[in-house]
Amino acid sequence: MDWGSRMSSDRLSTVRNLEALSDGVARRDPSAYPVDGVLPAVALAPATVEEVSACLAAADEAGLAVVPWGGGSHMALGNHVSAYDVALDLRALNAVVQHEPDDLTIAVQAGCTVAALDRHLANHGQILPIDVAQPERATIGGLLATGLAGPRRFGYGALRDLLIGITVVLPRGTVARGGGMVVKNVSGFDMMRLYYGSLGSLAVITQANFKVIPRPRAQRTVLARFSSLAAAARAAEAVRMSQLAPTAIVAVNEAAARQADLPAAAWSVGLRCEAPPVAVARQAERIAEAIGAEAAATEVIDHDGTEPLWQRINLALDAAPAEQTIGVRVGAAPSQLVTVAEAMIASLTALDLEPALTLDFGSGLAYVRTAGDPGVLLRAWDELARLGAHATLLTAPAAIKRSTEVFGREPQGFATMRALKAEFDPRGTLNRGRFIGNL
Amino acid sequence: MDRATLRERLEAVVGAGGVVADPSELVVYEYDASDEAIAGRHRPDFVVLPETTEQVAAVVRLAREYGLPVTPRGAGTGLAGGAIAARGGIMVVLTRMNRILEINERDRYAIVEPGVINLELSTATLPRGYFFAPDPSSQRACTIGGNVANNSGGPHCLKYGVTSNHIMGLEVVLPSGEVVWTGGPVPESPGVDLTGVLVGSEGTLGIVTKVMVRLTRNPEAVSVLLAPFPTIETASNAVSAIVAAGVLPAALEMMDRLSIQAVEAAFHAGYPTDAGAVLLVEIDGLAEAVAESADAITDICRQHDATEVRVAASAEEREALWFARKAAFGAMGRLTPNYYLQDATVPRTQLPPTLQFVEELSREYRLRIANVFHAGDGNLHPLILFDRYEKGAIERVLRAGTDLLTYCVERGGTVSGEHGIGLEKKDYLTLIFTPDDLAAMAGLKRSFDPLAYFNPDKVFPTSFSCGELAAVKAAGVPVSGGLGLEDVI
Repeated sequence: MDWGSRMSSDRLSTVRNLEALSDGVARRDPSAYPVDGVLPAVALAPATVEEVSACLAAADEAGLAVVPWGGGSHMALGNHVSAYDVALDLRALNAVVQHEPDDLTIAVQAGCTVAALDRHLANHGQILPIDVAQPERATIGGLLATGLAGPRRFGYGALRDLLIGITVVLPRGTVARGGGMVVKNVSGFDMMRLYYGSLGSLAVITQANFKVIPRPRAQRTVLARFSSLAAAARAAEAVRMSQLAPTAIVAVNEAAARQADLPAAAWSVGLRCEAPPVAVARQAERIAEAIGAEAAATEVIDHDGTEPLWQRINLALDAAPAEQTIGVRVGAAPSQLVTVAEAMIASLTALDLEPALTLDFGSGLAYVRTAGDPGVLLRAWDELARLGAHATLLTAPAAIKRSTEVFGREPQGFATMRALKAEFDPRGTLNRGRFIGNL
Repeated sequence: MDRATLRERLEAVVGAGGVVADPSELVVYEYDASDEAIAGRHRPDFVVLPETTEQVAAVVRLAREYGLPVTPRGAGTGLAGGAIAARGGIMVVLTRMNRILEINERDRYAIVEPGVINLELSTATLPRGYFFAPDPSSQRACTIGGNVANNSGGPHCLKYGVTSNHIMGLEVVLPSGEVVWTGGPVPESPGVDLTGVLVGSEGTLGIVTKVMVRLTRNPEAVSVLLAPFPTIETASNAVSAIVAAGVLPAALEMMDRLSIQAVEAAFHAGYPTDAGAVLLVEIDGLAEAVAESADAITDICRQHDATEVRVAASAEEREALWFARKAAFGAMGRLTPNYYLQDATVPRTQLPPTLQFVEELSREYRLRIANVFHAGDGNLHPLILFDRYEKGAIERVLRAGTDLLTYCVERGGTVSGEHGIGLEKKDYLTLIFTPDDLAAMAGLKRSFDPLAYFNPDKVFPTSFSCGELAAVKAAGVPVSGGLGLEDVI
């Protein structure tokens, strides 16, 4: 959408206006909140839902552009911001609102970090299975807004599938809820799915309710090395089609293995086992057997080694933005993933770029990172964007983002998405220009 | 409206055999599986039975042109009146679109037309090693399209999640007349999750014409346990203990004495008729894990006074137990001329007091109430038995239902776990949602259907007290009449 832009003197007076209206709300240094290299005029850190509501209502009234912030670990996602007046830092809203261990449900505020939530749940023998590279930084609200999910989606589903209730503040300051605190609920529309993955373009998430699951009592990882992608893919598929039920299946090429600090190999495949102690050793053994014929070497990582290993794999898959580097995710059905990965490698090597590739064989997502000159990177993205079922430029220098649509091809149903934006955020207050099609 | 012309134009789209216009034939489409005394009955002006997506889109465009409401319908097994043509107009019945178009094991999905019957899909995929997880008790009759509309549940939702967790993509005819595919075989499609928003929207946002469902791999091992308890209270305490122990069965179902009696009279499946309640527990997964969990659950049941814990010895025995459980509603005919099947969810730890409250309601309103439900999810299904020809019975049934929903909400629960809101429950939404909550939902509706002609009068509350009405109107929620075409066209 073309929201237009305002004169700087105009902005100054409206920001003063906002400061008056959000009196009492904590301030932060605006220079800590860059988005695509753009700084806001003011950074506010509301401590209550009422304060979020007051800030948003004031900004909306004044026609200011607001960017909601969690830990900032995924701020690179989204189209280049088209206007940015106010950073709304939600990390002060970080309470566990309600945890009913015996109901296996929890309600947390959006600013709670993944690590803090995990520590809380661990005390009760429970988890919310989330894969992120920076759990101490990433917040629950931010993860819901970006809709990113890591390789354990294969075993547990994404956060989308565990989300049972939500509270948001709409741009005019209205607090609206959906769902509830029960695991089965068809009362009213599924507002959780509306806000999940909409990149904070429709509303600011302030609270999320989840069903949690019993923490697996034992873990193993089968880590195998392969001489070719084809062999790695055959092994991954053999296990994926079996009843051996790993929770994640990921392949990394040599460059990605370096980032994940894995032993050098053309291709490595990690298969995560999470099960009761009585079952997990045999599960890992059988998985190792199933892929043995294809693998050059196979080892089983024990319980204590599994979490750190996957943390390193997450670092390769969910890497932070870097200078002169792009990160791209291409989706392809698992059976098409090898073909698409080969096309990605061919495109990038033809441009003299070295791809660090991570393939989520459970879900059918290929993640690639590569570094080079901006002009070459833009050409690389143009080619990658044509591949697979969908492609997203996850991280890129601002100069590249300014000249492209980071969400790739326009999906079907875009007219409805546009109507939703117009209905929920008619003034373009939230994340202006950043969502798909510059919504 | 020139009825004859419209009929001709509909027939030009779907053929003469695809249009029902004779009042004597339309009468069968006046209701669904909800009790007509509760959800009401309404006659559509026309019923059309399209066979292709293009036909559905053409019918939708005609309805739009004539300013007529559109009500989609599958097998009509819905329990909340969602498939009733509340304002007449054109009912689009999708049962002729009943082909399984593709089964793709490698990518774990199937593409089906909306009229495919739930059980037929799993019957087709099971021999190949896969199944469609949502398994509502009506699965022998209900359609996948109806499951999508209602975000249906079923016993196995405890482990596998509800329909929404198993829908990867949808082909849908939108109120604009546009036909779009949402989602697809790969997750994380950029943009708003239209698939997720459409599932459970009860046909108010679009008509689904193809469904890409997730197939789940058959587990390596399955075990079914049957545990009789002396009372419903001891059984519900066992349920809470199982959930709290960190053991996650595939299904955890309860039947009380009345239900057992009905089921045994009808099917002789082997449920003990002298028990106060039974738990039916299914555990699946890796063989070693299943064995361990079965032992743990057996211990918990014994600690909570189970009189025995029986393991189904064969696949046939498992089948018989499940068949009887899923046919329990039908078996109620052995006990009563009519029943009102309620559907509410409470947090699982609230099951014991909630079931006690159901007993109190039974005494207070002099109504027999049978309980057969998804205990592991906290999803209650009290069946209030009555005779509609008994004077005052319906009023007592409705009052008991309202009391129950109010109680469940007070305990942190909700007014519908899996049957939907439809016509039956729409006025109860104000128990759980504020006018602002409902206004946001109305904004979603408006974004898809600004003319408000898709399944009108459903989901949103229509009757309020004066004060509530003012608040709701102020918040921008369409209220009675507000969703009607006459106001917008």
